[in-house]
Amino acid sequence: MGAESILLRFTEGEGAVDLETYRQAGGYEAARRALTTLAPDSVIDIVEQSGLRGKGGAGFPTGRKWKFIPKGAPVKYVVVNGDEAEPCTFKDHLLLERAPHLLVEGIVIASYAVGAQRAYVYVRREGYLARERLEAAVAAAEQAGFLGDRIFGTDFSLRVVVHTGAGAYIAGEESALLESLEGRRAMPRARPPFPAIAGLYGKPTVINNVETLCHVPAVIHLGPEAYSALGPPALFSVSGHVRRPGIYELPLGTRMRALIETAGGLRPGRRFKAAFPGGSSSAILTDAHLDVPMDYEPLKQAGSMLGSASLIVMDDSTCMVRTVARAVAFYKEESCGKCTPCREGTYWLSQVFKRILGGQGRLEDLELLAHISRGMKGGTCFCLLGDSVPPALEASLKHFRHEYEHHIRTGRCDVEEGVGVAVGVA
Amino acid sequence: MGQRAPADPPTVTITIDGRPVTVPQGTTVWHAAQSIGIDIPIFCYHDRMPPLGACRQCLVRVEKQPRFQTSCTLVAEPGMVVSATTPDVREAQEMILEYLLINHPLDCPICDKGGECPLQDQAYLYGPGRSRFIERKRDFAKPVSLGPLLVLDRERCVLCWRCVRFGEIVAGDHALKGFERGPESEINTPFTQPVESKFIGNTISICPVGALTSRTYRFVSRPWDNAAVPSICNHCGLGCAIWLDVRDETIARVRPREHRAVNDVWLCDLGQFGHEWVGSRDRLTHPLIRREGALVESSWAEALDLIAAALETSRRLGPGRVGVLGGARLSNEDAYLVRRFFREVVGTPHLDHRTDARPGSPSLEIPWGMRAPLEAIASSSLLLLVGCDVAEEYPIAWLWMKRAVDRGAQLCAITPTHLDIEPHLFATLVVAPGAEGAVLAQVAAAVEGRQLDEALLQSAGVEPATVRPLAERMRTATRPMLFLGRGALERAAGVGLLASALRLQAAGCIVHVMRGKGNAVGAALMGLLPGPSGWTAPEILRQGAAGELDVLYVAGADPATEVPDASAWSAARQSTAFVVVQECFLTETARDADVVLPALAYAEKDGTVCNLEGRVQRIQAAVRASGEARSEGQVMADLARRLGVEWSAGSWEEIFQDAAAEIPGLAEGAVLSPPPLAGSWSADGGLPARPGDLVLLTGERLFDRGSMTGRSPAIAELAGAPSVWLHPGEAAARGVGEGSLAEVRSAHGRLVLRVRLTDRVPRGVASVPRSDDAVPVIRLLNWEAPLLAVTLHPLHPATEGPEEAAAASPRAGENGT
Amino acid sequence: MALAAEAQERIRALVDRYEHRQSALLPALFVAQEAVGFLPPETLAEVASLLELPPSEVISVASFYRLFFLEPVGRHLILLCTNLACHLNGAEAIGRRLEERLGIGPGQTTPDGAFTLRESECLAACALAPMMMVDRERFGPLTAAGVDEILDRHRGR
Ligand SMILES: Cc1cc2nc3c(=O)[nH]c(=O)nc-3n(C[C@H](O)[C@H](O)[C@H](O)COP(=O)(O)O)c2cc1C
Ligand code: SF4
Ligand code: FES
Repeated sequence: MGAESILLRFTEGEGAVDLETYRQAGGYEAARRALTTLAPDSVIDIVEQSGLRGKGGAGFPTGRKWKFIPKGAPVKYVVVNGDEAEPCTFKDHLLLERAPHLLVEGIVIASYAVGAQRAYVYVRREGYLARERLEAAVAAAEQAGFLGDRIFGTDFSLRVVVHTGAGAYIAGEESALLESLEGRRAMPRARPPFPAIAGLYGKPTVINNVETLCHVPAVIHLGPEAYSALGPPALFSVSGHVRRPGIYELPLGTRMRALIETAGGLRPGRRFKAAFPGGSSSAILTDAHLDVPMDYEPLKQAGSMLGSASLIVMDDSTCMVRTVARAVAFYKEESCGKCTPCREGTYWLSQVFKRILGGQGRLEDLELLAHISRGMKGGTCFCLLGDSVPPALEASLKHFRHEYEHHIRTGRCDVEEGVGVAVGVA
Repeated sequence: MGQRAPADPPTVTITIDGRPVTVPQGTTVWHAAQSIGIDIPIFCYHDRMPPLGACRQCLVRVEKQPRFQTSCTLVAEPGMVVSATTPDVREAQEMILEYLLINHPLDCPICDKGGECPLQDQAYLYGPGRSRFIERKRDFAKPVSLGPLLVLDRERCVLCWRCVRFGEIVAGDHALKGFERGPESEINTPFTQPVESKFIGNTISICPVGALTSRTYRFVSRPWDNAAVPSICNHCGLGCAIWLDVRDETIARVRPREHRAVNDVWLCDLGQFGHEWVGSRDRLTHPLIRREGALVESSWAEALDLIAAALETSRRLGPGRVGVLGGARLSNEDAYLVRRFFREVVGTPHLDHRTDARPGSPSLEIPWGMRAPLEAIASSSLLLLVGCDVAEEYPIAWLWMKRAVDRGAQLCAITPTHLDIEPHLFATLVVAPGAEGAVLAQVAAAVEGRQLDEALLQSAGVEPATVRPLAERMRTATRPMLFLGRGALERAAGVGLLASALRLQAAGCIVHVMRGKGNAVGAALMGLLPGPSGWTAPEILRQGAAGELDVLYVAGADPATEVPDASAWSAARQSTAFVVVQECFLTETARDADVVLPALAYAEKDGTVCNLEGRVQRIQAAVRASGEARSEGQVMADLARRLGVEWSAGSWEEIFQDAAAEIPGLAEGAVLSPPPLAGSWSADGGLPARPGDLVLLTGERLFDRGSMTGRSPAIAELAGAPSVWLHPGEAAARGVGEGSLAEVRSAHGRLVLRVRLTDRVPRGVASVPRSDDAVPVIRLLNWEAPLLAVTLHPLHPATEGPEEAAAASPRAGENGT
Repeated sequence: MALAAEAQERIRALVDRYEHRQSALLPALFVAQEAVGFLPPETLAEVASLLELPPSEVISVASFYRLFFLEPVGRHLILLCTNLACHLNGAEAIGRRLEERLGIGPGQTTPDGAFTLRESECLAACALAPMMMVDRERFGPLTAAGVDEILDRHRGR
């Protein structure tokens, strides 16, 4: 990655897992600077000026979010979203496992900025290594006085608690995460009130993604201008049919083609077919969009979105019908069941897909899929999980209708199965 | 601060479908639409619970907002422009409905909800003609029974979460929950166990589909075949408003009727399912008279002549040789006539409806009832239960307390056993049986800022540390309330309890006497109490036993199972020449009577009743009287005529008018709450001696097997087999286990009971439900002793047979002394 | 099955980590599950009483999350990711291989109680696609041969 990498430089090789390594790399200096030389409000201003936007999917400006927290409130919380269950998003786990102190430092700065004395980090159950390393990091930081009482001799104190999920994608949705953190079924809450006003235990709460907070030390360290001059930088999760799937730190706005190249390009003899630029909830793009800049606005204009910056590449060995069916199956599996359109819509869609893939498709099913999908759009669903279903589905109906029709007419799939190019056991 | 006229609440004006509407700030768009007659469909929203926004049926569009909004959650903001019926909105609403229907069976014709089903109505109004759904519907096991009351059909459920939230928000019992998730989500009890609730019937009323239906009403009738008659529940004494749905002269079902000040829109399960006795085959249909020792059918004329003759003879022997017991099951009008007949025509002062009181019980010294309306509970910040198992005795009062608790009030209890509402309690002082009064005296002392008798508290089982904060809160609380329960009043050795209550009343506490079932308060109001130099119920029985009575007249009471003494009733019966009983059933008391008269049930007569608040409410004849049954009032008129006094057998209204002329403030809808506690009672703050190592407690249970509930199969099933409740440790120490049969013996009698293990009763206590007519706990009691010891004797499986049969049979058989 | 004193202690300790006791529910259920192997009704009831929560609430919550087992499971839990990246890289073939070798379908447990096989959503390790987790360990990119080797390595344990 080299010098200008601000996040991955901590994860290279074995990463900066223990406190010493992290400090030699300049760890906790940004936090010290912030706590000892900056007023909370100026920290927030710096973060706002840096143009840092949330990396959890919604891309909300982080500084603005912090500003919503009422000043006077006696009790406030910072909650870190490390659920990372968004299909083909795997950057947060890399950070948690290889650079846990980077997150801890980010948490310290964020909590200082908004005036929280307690932070909770919600890590999905399967992140055993991530939790283990983070808990060790928290303990070490407390030992070293970077957490706990009177940090850096200031009168700012902070406790960090690492919490475990239990197997539910919806727990990544911020209000459902709060429910889950309060020990209930992870079902989203109605807004208003927004978490910034009444979040965890009904108190003002900032919820940020793991990566988002990992950017914060660099923002303080480099200053807003220098930071945004880097792109600003972002972690892209690249997966699917590329030679070197993985996490890449590149400036926002890097073209999709370049990102694919960075990830080793396609496999020999394969042609690019399509891609999800921002995870399974983003609209599928085709080769027509290979040069779209991977950034919020351009992708929006291209009719898709950046989401959690997870590029899923599909080459010509891909059956679009089965792939979209798999995405739909995911949302059905993960729908919490609270609201009607998401619960019943995902159920209905998967039934239709099952029929089509089972050779019992009817041409009118394409209209039916569109009809069911329409009913899940524009706020009919309680939260954005439901809204995540239509984009990919509708894009596939638009760009790859012939594949659906072929399935329905012949009752089978002519695209060869994407048999993995075996590379041995890790 | 001086008085200021309250400024009218600020309002906001919005536009819905082009029509402006002005509503109080904080009103939701859905309510705003309602207020101008725009009906937005809903499923998950219920106006007694906060909006959830889950079903999405109530979607609307708001100008300048890109996404649909749920009108049930959306608060009206000034200038909002809302469209609720535009094509795009309609399409969205229809789509939601289509989603709801894809997994909903098309079994309306055989569904109990048919004809009163919001989903059916919506489908009819909005639904697209045919569903595009051709896939397999989600299938669950066929309808399952969750206990004797509730049937769950998961395939019909639209997952509106109303029933779940009712259990969390309104009842606090968490009876039904959601399990699994997504399309597999299902409403159920854990592992489909029988539901544990006292309020589950309400979920049937609020379920917007036929997923939750009544087991007793299954396939019984259709809404359009029912005549709905407004009436008042006759069970616990809170007088909840009900609908009697009548079909072919029988009560098909009971439903809650909205009464904001009493039961709101709720009902407890006893009220909703405890009505089947009215149509029971055991109902008395003809008068019975005793011939050659046996009770035989007779005509009314013959029976009335016999009674008149007996009263006539007694009158010749001198005044005051007639005693009258009972009244709690009469209407006000009947009670009024009974009082006038016996006081004025027969000329006896010995009347009393308090048949279940002990001699010397504090409950005989004070008027029963609440000294503030139920509503006031919700605005109190401290509620103290004293020997009052409120959820079991007065369930709807608990719902008011739950509201208070949700608003931050502190609910505390001084009780000999743990309560099942304990999770909602702020402090539970579990005291030795009978120690309620002594502990209350200490609370009073603390409130007055005086020294605590720590030693006494310790031996009563209470940490002094818990008393002071409680007293502190009482001092600062708004509208603190004290609820004196039957248990505390009847277990008390002396009247010290009242002395303490009086002190707390002086300190600003409202004192409620939570005593009396059915129309007890009305009976008292109408004068079924001792007149000048008249005897109380226990005295009447004693005098009867002493041969001082010629005639004992029992109306709507069953002293043989109610009087807290194994032999008091039989003694009185033996030495009284002539006993008359008017009843709905051949109760134990009736079996020993010389004349038995068939009575009307509350659902068979017109008139009024009073609830514990003293609220005067109307009951109506909904079904025809069974056989030749007559009202007590009618009987009084018939007897008066025979004794040479002409009474016009007037309509209930005329009788009510006569009563109103005598009783200040008596009017339909009026609330005649009893006066504040007044009297001079000695403060015997001492602890009662522990009579033995296993003390008998007569526990209050909502579901029991009295003469009425025992004949309401669903309730009887909930009550379960006659049982004694023991702490697991206690049971183990005594060699009995869950479900095993044991004989419980006192110095006065014995009962065969099933052992139930629960850590709600402390060690050293055996709790036996009060009212099971087959096995009346009074067989163990002696009314001289407020507390008594029992011993427990495991029964050999071999000998179980007959004893168990006895325990289960409606007649007590060889059970008892 | 009654929880060992040690597990009870750990659960009580969890309560102190949070301002509200119910927040300890998820971690507490995992403590109980690891102690008993799964979550039978009586264990759920015990957790409920330890946390002073309504049993129905505890069971309702447990049934919502995929990683609480209300039924017995094998000594080893195999989570085969079948979500997009793994799907595109042949997870299906790997799944077939697992089913052959274990002689069970997804959601089932081998008769010897060694393995429970489950298809899983994305496990946030897409660089390893096709991948799976066995207990707490990640494996990938998987090949048929690799699968056999992994199974053999675990079967004994
Ligand atoms: C269905 C759903 C799943 C989500 N999953 C995650 C997740 O796994 N991790 C995450 O950080 N944000 C996730 N989000 C976004 C969060 O709701 C929230 O926007 C984010 O955590 C805020 O942090 P940020 O501003 O730093 O991005 C999800 C949102 C939705 C609607
Ligand atoms: S059972 Fe009835 S009330 Fe309960 S969630 Fe289902 S539809 Fe709603
Ligand atoms: S009634 Fe508004 S969302 Fe259900």
